[in-house]
This record gives sequence, C-alpha cells and structure tokens, in this order.
Amino acid sequence: MKCKITVLMLLLCFQYWTLSAQEKFISGTVTIESDSMPLPGVTILVKGTQNGTSTDMDGHYSIRADQGDILVFSFIGFITQEIQVSQQEVLHVALRESMQGLEEVVITALGITRDKKSLGYATQEVDGEAFSLTNQQNVLGSLSGRVAGVQVMGSSGASMGGTQKIKIRGVNSIGGGDQPLIVVDGTPISNANFSGSDQADYGNLAQDVNPNNIASVNVLKGPAASALYGIRGQYGVIMITTKKGQKGPKKVNVDFSSTFSVESAYDFIELQNLYGGGSSQTFRTIDNGQPYVDMSVDESWGPRMDGTPVRQVFSFYPQDAEYGKLTPFLPHSNNIKDFYNTGTTFSNNISVSGGNENTAYRLSANNTKVEGVVPNSQLDRTNVSLSASLDLSEKLSVLSNINYATNSGRRPSQGSEYGGSFMVQWFQRNLDMNRLRNYKYDDGTYLHWNLGRPNSSTGEITDYEPLYWNNPYFEAFENTSEDKRDRFFGDVGLRYKILPELEVSAFIRADMFTQNIQSRQAFGGTRLPSFSIGKYQNKEFNYEVLAQYKKSWDNFSLDASVGGNIYDREYTYLYQATVGGLSSPGFYNIEASIDRPDVASYLLEKQIRSFYSLVSVGYKGIYYIDASIRNDNSSTLPEDNNSYWYPSVSTSVVFSELLNWEPLSFGKIRASYAQAGSDLSPYQTSKYYGVGTVYQGTNTMYVPDNLNNPDIEPSFSNSFEAGLELDFFNNRLGLDFTYYQQKNKNQILNLDISATSGYSSTVINAGLIENDGFELSLNATPVQNDTFSWDMTFNINKNNSEVVSLAPGIDVYTYGSTTYSSVTSYLNSYEGKPFGSLVGQAYQRDPATGQILLGDNNMPLYTDATHDFGTVLPDFNGGFQNNFRIGQFNIAAMVDFQGGGQFFSRSKMLSVRTGQDILTVATNENGMNVRDPLEEGGGVQVHGISASTGEQVSAFVDARTYYRNEVGRRIYEEWLYDASYVKLSELRVQYNLGQDIMSHLPFETMSFALIARNPVMIWQEAPKGINPSEISTGAQSISWYESGQLPSVRSIGLNLNVTF
Amino acid sequence: MKKTHISIILFTLLITACNKFDEDINITTNEPSQASGMQLIAQAQLSLPGLSSSPQGEFMAQYLAETQYVGVSLYPEESTSFYPWYQGPLADLQAVLTSEDLNANEGPIANQMAVAMILKSYYFWNLTDRWGDIPYTEALKGNENFTPVYDTQESIYLDLFEQLKQATQMMVSGDLSNDIIYGGNISKWEKFANSTRLLMALRLSEVNPALAQSEFNSALNDGVFTSNDDNFVFHHLAEANNENYWYDQVVNRNREWWALTEGLVSIMKPVDDPRLEIFGNPNRTQGQYIGLTFGEEDQIGTEEYSLLGDALYAQDASIHLMTYAQISFALAEAAHYGWISGDAELYYNQAIESSLEQWTGSSAAAQSFLAQPDIAFNQGNALEQIATQRWVHLFMFGYEAWSEWRRTGYPSNLVQPNGVAVPTRLAYPDNEVFNNEENYKQAVDRQFGGEDPIHGTLWWDQ
Repeated sequence: MKCKITVLMLLLCFQYWTLSAQEKFISGTVTIESDSMPLPGVTILVKGTQNGTSTDMDGHYSIRADQGDILVFSFIGFITQEIQVSQQEVLHVALRESMQGLEEVVITALGITRDKKSLGYATQEVDGEAFSLTNQQNVLGSLSGRVAGVQVMGSSGASMGGTQKIKIRGVNSIGGGDQPLIVVDGTPISNANFSGSDQADYGNLAQDVNPNNIASVNVLKGPAASALYGIRGQYGVIMITTKKGQKGPKKVNVDFSSTFSVESAYDFIELQNLYGGGSSQTFRTIDNGQPYVDMSVDESWGPRMDGTPVRQVFSFYPQDAEYGKLTPFLPHSNNIKDFYNTGTTFSNNISVSGGNENTAYRLSANNTKVEGVVPNSQLDRTNVSLSASLDLSEKLSVLSNINYATNSGRRPSQGSEYGGSFMVQWFQRNLDMNRLRNYKYDDGTYLHWNLGRPNSSTGEITDYEPLYWNNPYFEAFENTSEDKRDRFFGDVGLRYKILPELEVSAFIRADMFTQNIQSRQAFGGTRLPSFSIGKYQNKEFNYEVLAQYKKSWDNFSLDASVGGNIYDREYTYLYQATVGGLSSPGFYNIEASIDRPDVASYLLEKQIRSFYSLVSVGYKGIYYIDASIRNDNSSTLPEDNNSYWYPSVSTSVVFSELLNWEPLSFGKIRASYAQAGSDLSPYQTSKYYGVGTVYQGTNTMYVPDNLNNPDIEPSFSNSFEAGLELDFFNNRLGLDFTYYQQKNKNQILNLDISATSGYSSTVINAGLIENDGFELSLNATPVQNDTFSWDMTFNINKNNSEVVSLAPGIDVYTYGSTTYSSVTSYLNSYEGKPFGSLVGQAYQRDPATGQILLGDNNMPLYTDATHDFGTVLPDFNGGFQNNFRIGQFNIAAMVDFQGGGQFFSRSKMLSVRTGQDILTVATNENGMNVRDPLEEGGGVQVHGISASTGEQVSAFVDARTYYRNEVGRRIYEEWLYDASYVKLSELRVQYNLGQDIMSHLPFETMSFALIARNPVMIWQEAPKGINPSEISTGAQSISWYESGQLPSVRSIGLNLNVTF
Repeated sequence: MKKTHISIILFTLLITACNKFDEDINITTNEPSQASGMQLIAQAQLSLPGLSSSPQGEFMAQYLAETQYVGVSLYPEESTSFYPWYQGPLADLQAVLTSEDLNANEGPIANQMAVAMILKSYYFWNLTDRWGDIPYTEALKGNENFTPVYDTQESIYLDLFEQLKQATQMMVSGDLSNDIIYGGNISKWEKFANSTRLLMALRLSEVNPALAQSEFNSALNDGVFTSNDDNFVFHHLAEANNENYWYDQVVNRNREWWALTEGLVSIMKPVDDPRLEIFGNPNRTQGQYIGLTFGEEDQIGTEEYSLLGDALYAQDASIHLMTYAQISFALAEAAHYGWISGDAELYYNQAIESSLEQWTGSSAAAQSFLAQPDIAFNQGNALEQIATQRWVHLFMFGYEAWSEWRRTGYPSNLVQPNGVAVPTRLAYPDNEVFNNEENYKQAVDRQFGGEDPIHGTLWWDQ
C-alpha cells in the first residue's frame, strides 16, 4: 500500500512540473506520407544550431524556434525535409519514404520506441493486417507461421476460439509451463485458461483482444529482448500495439467491416461400413425369434450390415413409430459427420478515429456471433475500445487506452469421455444420426442407443437408463456448459516533457475480469445429475513510472531510461458443485444438491516490486551498445530471499554504412547476452493441510500430495544470441538470421517423486534445460510494378533442446500421464535427452533382428510402460506468406508447416479397438476379410519371432482379439504419429473498388473479400482424421496426446470493408 | 535537470525500500495450517474401504467374473500402484506420529499416537502382502528422503509385530473424538491391534512356523476379538460423499460388469449356503443362481448370470476388514496345528456361526448348515475345510482371501484364464522405475532376479 501512495505522489510531482512550464514551442505531428501513420523517432533540428528534438511514440514533437528558423526533419529511410518557420505555432509534416535502407521503428520492452537498427537482439513484428486477414477468433492463432521461432499449437475451430498455445524458441521450462507474457499497449494482460484437458475449451484469455484493433504485434523472443520484464520475461513477451487516432488537422475516419462465414467440420477418421454394432457376427435373439442389434455393446464387432431385418434400438421404445418392427440392418456411413451442423460466424466491426492539434482518439466496437458446428454450441463476443490522448499543454499529455470485452459461450465438450467426441471411439456403424437427432419422445422419454439388453422372454427393455454413453444430441442439448466473462483492461497515464530530451511518464494499468462458468449433467443420462457453478475474479494492477532521456551529439546518441513498477494481483474464486444428484428435475441450482455440496472459496494475492534502467549509446549511427538491469522483489518467494537482479547487454554494428556497396541497402550484425527469470505461484513456500470429506459431523484433514519448499528461488535463464540482417536492392530482398542459446537453470519444478516418501511431488529448484537453434526470416518482392506485385515472407526455425540435468538423484521428470484401460503413457524428460519423451508400451522386439516378438498365441508381446519413443517436439516449424496485388485484387495466402514431433492418438487407437476403423475390415493376404473366421482364411497376418522358440512366425490371428484386446488396447507404439504437416491456413482474395466507382459512392474506399480459414491441409504424415496442428489436449501446455479431439473445421466467408 | 536527478534518486530509494511485503501475503488462507491429530486419523480411516473395494482384488480371489470388457480378470502383466497408500493415509498418519502439537482435547495424546501407529501398521501389512518388499523404514520422510530403500518383507513383519505391541502398551484410559471406526473406544483398538498380530502370525505358518506360533500365542494372550461387535468395519453412509465404491460403479455408472463366479456358486449352491442370496442376485432369465466362469470372454452377459448382490452395492453397505469369524477360523487352524489348546471344530463352528450372523444378520441357520455333510467339520480334511469356508466368509475382501489362498492353496478350484495362473503378487508401480530406480532395481534383483513379475513368490509364500 505504501508503494501505491509513493507512485501517486510521483504523479502529483509531474503536475507540479506542468504548472512551472510556460515556454513557447512549435509543435506538430510527423506522419508517413504514404499511409498517414505517425512516425516516432524523427530527428528535428533547428538548422545551424544544436537545438534539436525527436518525435514521440505518436509522432508528436515540439521544439523551441524563432520565426525564420529552418527546421530539419530527418529520419533514416525518409527524405529529409527542411521547412522555414513562419508565424504558425503548429507545424505538421509528412515525410516521404526514401526507399533507402531499412528504417523501422520498433516498440521494445516497456513500450520504449527504438530505431530497429540500434537493437542488438532479434525482434520480429507482425503487421496488424495479419490479425484481421481471415477473422480468426483468437489473436494468438494468427501468429502461427508469421514469426520465426514461434510455435503456435491451435485447437479445432469447433471450439470457437479455443486454446491457442504459444512457445517461443522451444520449450524453456522442464515443467513445460513456459508461456510468454502478453502486453497490450504496455499493459500486461492475463492469458490464463480455465479449461481442463477435456470438456469445454474456454480458450486462453488473450482472445479478449479485438483482432481488428491491432496495429502491430512485436514478439520479443529471447531474454535479451525481454530482460526488462525481469521475473516475468523469461519466456519472451508478445507486445500488442493497438490502432490509434492521429493528431493533426481535424479529421474523422470511419471504418466499417463486416464478415460472414460458414464453418463445416471435415477431416474424419476413415471408418468401415461393413460390420455393425455387437460383439459377435451373429445376432442375439429374443425368445420370439426376432434378432436384435446388441445395444449393450458400444463397439462395431457385430454382424455384417447386409440389410437383414432386425430389431434396432428404436424398436424397443414403445413411444417409437417403429416399436416392435424389424428394419434392415444397414450402414450409415456418414453417421458421425451427420452429427455436426454447418456453423456460422457473423462479425461486425466499426471504428471512429481522428484528432486535432492536441487530441487523438479512436473508438471501436466489435460484435461477433458464432453458431458452432457442434449442435447447440454458440459464442457471442463484444469488444469496445477507446484510446485517446490529449495534450494538456505543450509538455503534458494525458493518455489512456480502455478495452472492454464481454463473452458468453455455450461450448462443446472435447475429450474421449464427454460430449459427442466418443463417437469415433465407441459407437455402432449402423446407427442413423437422423434417428438420434430427435432425442426426446413426446412423453419426455429420452432416446438413447446404448442400453441394457432386453429381457429375452418378454422382449422388452426394462431399464431405459443409458449404459455408458448418452445420445450425442442429449449431450449437446441437455448436458450444457455455459461461460461468461466481462473484462476491462487498459491504462491511464501522464507523459511530461521536462526538456526536449527528457520525458517522464506514469501509468496505472489494470486488467480485471470476472469469469463465470456453470455446467450441468441432466436427468436421464449416464451420469448422476449435477450442477456446478464457479465465479472467478482477477484483478491485476501495474503502477509504473518511466523516465526517458534521448539526446544526440555530433557522432553520439544516447538513449537512457529509468523506471519502476509495482505489480499487484488479487485473484479470488467461489466454486460450488452438487453432490449425490439433484433434488428435482430441471432445477439446476446448488440448493438442489442432495448431499453436502462441494464448496471452495479461494484467495490469491501476489506482488512484485521492480526497478529498472536501460542505457543505449550509439556512435555515428553505426555502432550501438545497450545495457539494462532490473531488480524484482516477489512476494511469492521466501521473505528473506525475494530480491533478484536481471541484467542484459547487447550490441550491433550497421556495417553497410562502412561498406558502401550499392546492392546492399542495409547490413547489420548483432549480439546480446541476458538474464531473465520466472518465479512461482503463491503459497508454495509454507506448509498447510487439505480439508477432506466430512463424515457424519467428523471433519477430516489431510497432508497434501505436494510438498512445499521454504527455500525456493526464482528460476533463471541465461541467453546468448547473435544475428545478421541484410537487405538488398532497396529492400526487394531481405534476410534476418539469428542463432540463439538459452540455458534455463534452477527451474521451479513440481517434481514427481516416489510417493513412498509420503508426497507425490515437491516444489524444488532444479535442473538445467538448454535450447539452441536458429531462426531465419526471408522476405522478397520478386515483382513490383503498377499492376502486379508479389511480396513474400518465409520463416523457419529449428530448435534443439536438451535436459542437461534434473534434481540430484533424479534423472526422470514426468510432465504428465494419461491412463486408459489401466494402460498408462507418460510424457517424461530424461537427463541428457531432448525435452519431452513420449513413454509407453511398445512391441517387444528381438534384439538381433528388430522383429516383433510373439507369444505362444501368436499375439505380439509388449513391454511395460517405460519404453522411450523420443521427443514430442518438432524439429522445425515455420510459415510461408504470400501477398499478391493484381490490379484491383489483393491476394494473401498463409502456409504453416512443421517437421517432426509426434503424438499419441487415443481416438485412432479406440476406433480400431472398437472395430470402427477401416483397418479392421482390411482384406488380408488370403484375399479374405480379416474378420472372416480363421478356418476360412480370415484373420490378421502377423509376422515376428516366437518368444519361446525363437523361430520365425507368420500366422493369422483372430482380428477382434488382435485389435480389440492387444494392439488397440496395450501397444501404444502402434498409435504414435509423426506431427509433420503443411497447411494452407489462411487465404484472402480481396477486390478493391476503383476510383471510378468510388466517386459515385459516399465512401472513401470499399473492398470485398473472399476469406478462408483452414481451407486445405496440404500434407500431413498422420492418418486422415487427426489434425496434427490442432492437438489441443485442452489447456495442457505441451500437446503430446490426442483424445477425442473435436473435428477440424473449415471456414469460408465474405468480408466487406468500407471507410468513410 | 536537478529536479530530475533528485526525483530519480528519490524514486529509486522508495522503490527499493519496498521489498518488505505484508507478513502474511504468502500464507494461504484457503487451507488450514494447523493440523488436528484425530482429523488426520479420520482422513486415514476414510481410505480403509479402499483396501477391500477393488475389482482387481475380487479377481485375485476369483469371487467375481467380468460380464463385459473382459480384461483385468485375465491377469495381464500390469503394474499396480501403491502410491495412493503412501501419499494418502500413510502420510496422514505419519503427520500425526511426527506432530509436535497434538491436542489432548481430542482425547489422550498417547491414545492418538497409539491409534495412528496401529493403523499405519495395518496399512503396511496389507501393502507388503500384496507387493512383497516395499519401502518401510525410510518411507514417509518427506524431503529427508525422496528415494527410500525397499525393506524385506521379513523385516517389515518383524517390525510390525513390535509396533503393534508398543502401540497397545502406550495406551492410557480415555476415549477419542473423531474416530469413525470405533467411536473412540480405545479398548476396541487394543483388540484390533492384537487381532492384527494374530492374523499376521498365521500368515507365517509356512515360512517360519515357530515364530508364527509364538507370535500367535502372544497376540491371543493380549486379547483378540471376542464377538462380531469387535469387528473392524467401515460403515459407508447413504450419501454421495461417503458412499460405497460398488454403489458408484453399479448404480451411478450403470456398470453391471460383475457376476458371481462359477467357482463360488459351485461351492455355495450345493450346500444351500444362506449367504448366497446376499452375495448375489438370481439371474434375470430364470431366477436361478448361475455363476459365470472366471475369465470367460465369449459366453458373457448380464442376463444369464447372477450379478453382485443388491445389499453389497447399497450406497451405505459396510466393508468388513477384520472380523470375529476370521479370528475364529485362525484359531481353528492354530488348534489344528496344535499351536494352541482347544478344539479346532469348536472354533470352526464358531467361525461359521459368526460369519452367518455377520452376513445374514442371524446365526439361526447355522445349525442346519453345519449339519450338512460337506460343511460339518472333518478332522481328516480340516485345513481345506477351514480355508475354503474362510474364503467364502471373506467374500468381497478379495485381496485378503487371495493372501490366504497363496498361503494355503485353498480353495482348490481357482481357474487359469487362457492358461494364465493366478498371480502371486502385484507388480510394482511403473513410475518407481522413474522415481526410485536404484532401490527398485535392488528390490527386484533381490526377490525376483531382476524381473518384476506378477507370478513372483513372496517371502512368506514359500
């Protein structure tokens, strides 16, 4: 609290300075002539004097000058302008690009604008257009392939903006939880995720940023770039800058865009259409002789679907029109596909921006309505943003960005055990989705497909409660999950120009949201009826002060900043869930809990107090050196040891200035070294007990499974990088290459330990994980003329990781595990190996020949669940972006690719196990169906070596036993897939109306575009139906297995853009 | 400029002066930081039914057969985790035993400690009987030892006898609160500790009969169960937070996955065993008691076979972990060996009588049941009779019945699904290979020549 007061007092000090400032200056805004965007960092000199200044972030400047003086506006890459001062006090200038040299200004850590050529580390900026290109729901998704060194793992479009995970330069924490910090206009925002690994995917919270508002995104990839974020900067920073209004002559711009798209699920696992539900190829019969489809079996190892008249599950419902009737037993080859609807997305965005001499503003609003492809799923999102700046005097400005986002969704469940995702895994190929669609009879009875068998003598079903699975429509319409979130984030601040060279600013930044989640299990399904509700509130404040000093002398330039920050977070939640069922059907409320409900009330508090400083010195615009330091005090660390320092140093040389070689427009080499860190969540340094179940008035208490550690320290990363930037032929061809090394040590791990110690995990500082790799970004403009131009950008990165050490005495770290039918697989990290080995049951192999070992029954033998299949991380990934302008058409196409990596697919395994996969009806070497009896030449042929005799065996085995009980259940090796792919992820074809038409319309510009998201998976190594780019595994930070993944969704739409 | 310098210095000072946070900012208010001895013990008691309620245990003793998704009952080479026992009840009990601030308001501290010791010993006994050598002396030490060594089963048994004796010796008069097993009655705990020693001693009948005899007598002299009122039982409640495992499986999850085995029905049905109608339901097709052959994969179903009995999967069905009948069978066996004086037949009859009383609520049918030629005590076949009837009595505590089968070889009609013999132990958890590799290797080398097989033989099962 004391610290907050301090910051407020400092704010008051600025006010004092304001009052004392009365000097007269000429002021104005410098913009780029071609697009009227403000241009920061422009040097303004009074000709023939030492008197100079430069423009601020908004392109604004003010300078003392007398009438008749000549002002020189210069900025590398732009043609220098000289303007004589007349009587005016306001002078706006538009500079024209010189097409010489790469002169980008980038926003670096803490919002400090820097000339890109002075930076000694890699940053890569993505233009705002990329984010509205095809109307993606989640901003992070648009980064995929656009930044070298950034890997984005998405989720199916069926989740309507679900989880997008981002990793910068590989996995840098052994615990896998390395997520970059997300900063919007200087305000760090929460990217938390309320999803688990299954059920509804609520998505990561960065989705509250309106993609249409983004001016640019700058990715600070390594600690060198992010060292100024100290304890929050270890895993990189994604800096989002939103669009702003402009100061200048009074002007109002109105932009309107509207997008309508349709979404359809595609890409399903290939299933067989020969055999229907059941466990044997003959029908069961009731006593009157009628054959029936065994509705108690959720597999498709049943009889051939040859049209035989049988009693199907509908015929056992007295309410059904076909009650008691025999109907032909036929395949419904599209039954799973038929479940999914055509979804729609309708999105409207309007913005009003403008300004005058001393104000700039931009107000925008966006509404998006999504009807998902999963029946009864929907999302409604509204964003409203205001950014404004006002010059109170020539020296003092007030700035503010305020964003409001509200979401309400009803999202589909994912994962093998929830929603409709079970259908690929446990289902009958004969079921007609059109029959299941009307899931409720008029009398309220639910129609289910998986019931206990009928009584053989009466032929009636006695219990209509479903056995293991609900009708998928019952899941979609009755077992719903609803979420709502209201969120404000933004900042308000003052900026004061004490001297032309010295600027001080103070900001209060906030991110506040309330997330509500409720979900229900209805009466009449497989699960006990239940209701749960949670309210989660997060308040994060940053109080920040920054002083910046910029000055140039003849050959030297100095750029220095000093600042401080207080981070203050309070997070609370209240969660309740019914226990033992609900007291009355249709009443979903905690009050309806039959037994004592589960209740949790939670409070989390955290503070970080920081101080930082940065100095950058340049010589002749050729040599630069930077140094920064940050001190962080975190409340989550042990009280007596909570203060740590994070330094960085970097340098760059613009050698093209020395060479003077005509084709080389720009050339720079750079190198940097830095340390950044990461702390831990609160409450992990002291001991506490858990509260257990209450037994008839006896409260119970337990020792938590995780052992806390009072001696924990923050983790540190030491990183080194070196890079080369080259631009040829006036920027027609460019290259940016970076080599990096990052050593992350003293990781804060929840290390799995032998539970025989009394604890299954402990918080420790341990381990060293090293990453090194390269990033290459190429851009080229092969063609450029009045009617046709072609720009392309190609990004690729390759990362190698090695877990150098874990804790003393521990050489395996288990990140996660997943168990099904008592068979477990793990994601482990081993000392001396790359991060993230997939571990599970493999074939036992003959050491000499590598052939599979077979048991006496000729079934393959398997190892225990300790076989290491190698890392799940890709070898390389990247993107290839092309923009064409052909006359009045603009075409943009984005291709993402990934090489290597692997994952385990439970969907595929189970589709085989349950006899649904097309593999289970293959034709064998005898030309017979594998399901035909062995004695008739059927069966699956297995080859291998007999474990007992050592002899070569080639034999046919029963298909059902082989797939269902052995391979599809125990041998995970068979269900691991390479995650390589090449995907056309975004496509936009835009037509801009020509001047001839526009002159008849009341608009300035107008364009139409055809857009497509995920139009084509060009190539993938994994079999059809499992999309390696969307292995969501819910909110788990590493995607290593897939289990009931929602189907991939293709979106095609129309977009209209109008400016007034 | 001066102002700037001053403000920067001032600012730096203020910020760096801010590294002291509120004292309790990093202390959670979401969980208690003070422990209660008896509440920790109560939590450890909540795990007791888990020792018994497990399909795997029922399969080991071949009480139940799978009616669908036949898999676990085929005895696959799979590992079974003992982690939940260590990080659950044992860690809670260890916290009581190492606590420095137990509160006498919950009953005499000595008695709290004694009950914690008894329960801890009881859990360890169950664990070693399943897996063999396990971490014991170095276990439960938290950050003092993350990789505990495996102790031999023999050393664990010897120490458990001592622990249980010590626990009863330290008892003082005075009842306990929050005891959900014996309502705080310390003399019941004393009998339970002695009865545990008695059954442990019997377990050593093959490997070390002399030790078995002396420990058996020592326990008997100290006082064991004398009626069903002394039984060590966990009573589930008719509410979801404290419900029976089988209720959740059969009723909530609709899993009619378990039928009585052919082996069980073939022993009970011919002698009109009055317990059969409790153990199972008549099949739905004919209203008959029909068992399903254990390990059958094709001729399976829920209509044709007797499924698990209604009473056993009631929400509040009780779990019997140690009973007077069990003690009586032990006494019958000991009398048969001549370890103790007394008539084996009397003990045998007493065992059956109290078993019927426990299972059916009345011992009225005992006389006629005991009069049946196959049931009436037969000196010539005493061991098989005692063991087989004990197996029937132990129904649903499959792991315990399996231990007795391993020791005695009875009942003799257990089958081998697909030729796979009944396992003789559980395999260690897979993750011990990751987490405690050296000690794990040492343990499997010592016992099973480097393998970790489910057919390895334990020390007392020689």
